[in-house]
Amino acid sequence: MKTTDLLVDVFLVLGVACQFVCCLGVLVFGNVFDRLHFAGAGTTLGPLLIGAAVLVRQTTSAAGITAMLVMAVVVVLGPALVIATARAARRIDYGEIGPRQDERASG
Amino acid sequence: MNAFLIAGTVLLAMLVLPGIVIVRARPIDGIVALQLSGTTITLVLLCLAEGFHRSVYFNVPLVSALSVWVGGLIYVRFIGRFR
Repeated sequence: MKTTDLLVDVFLVLGVACQFVCCLGVLVFGNVFDRLHFAGAGTTLGPLLIGAAVLVRQTTSAAGITAMLVMAVVVVLGPALVIATARAARRIDYGEIGPRQDERASG
Repeated sequence: MNAFLIAGTVLLAMLVLPGIVIVRARPIDGIVALQLSGTTITLVLLCLAEGFHRSVYFNVPLVSALSVWVGGLIYVRFIGRFR
């Protein structure tokens, strides 16, 4: 077994395990904000590790550059979607986005 | 069957977990699970493209990543109006 094959296997196993933990967290936790934590992790850790596994094979070929682009889209734009979802959840649950009276008092 | 095809199959099977949330939880929780499902589907397509050794297939996860992001924003924009 070559070193690149070993590296690909390690990255793939870690990436799939990260996605599994994120999917399990979204299922197990009941609060929308807890679920968002796991969904946010699912847009960074897993894609980076699986993208790294693809890059080990493809390096700078056309497919490798496209894989880098996919990773960039998921990792860079993902947090913006998480923030938008958190704002919508806050508006649904509490009626406003800013801190409430009791939250201001507790600092 | 290589490692990428196995990883893609495992990731595809994993979609059951957020799928349960999409079906059973509140709409906002379902949207969170839907976003995670979209990311996982993009990774499945990436793994399958590499697993089949066809460079032209790599365009599919790129389109998927962009449409999942835009779709997620649209859903969040409209669901935020309902209480």
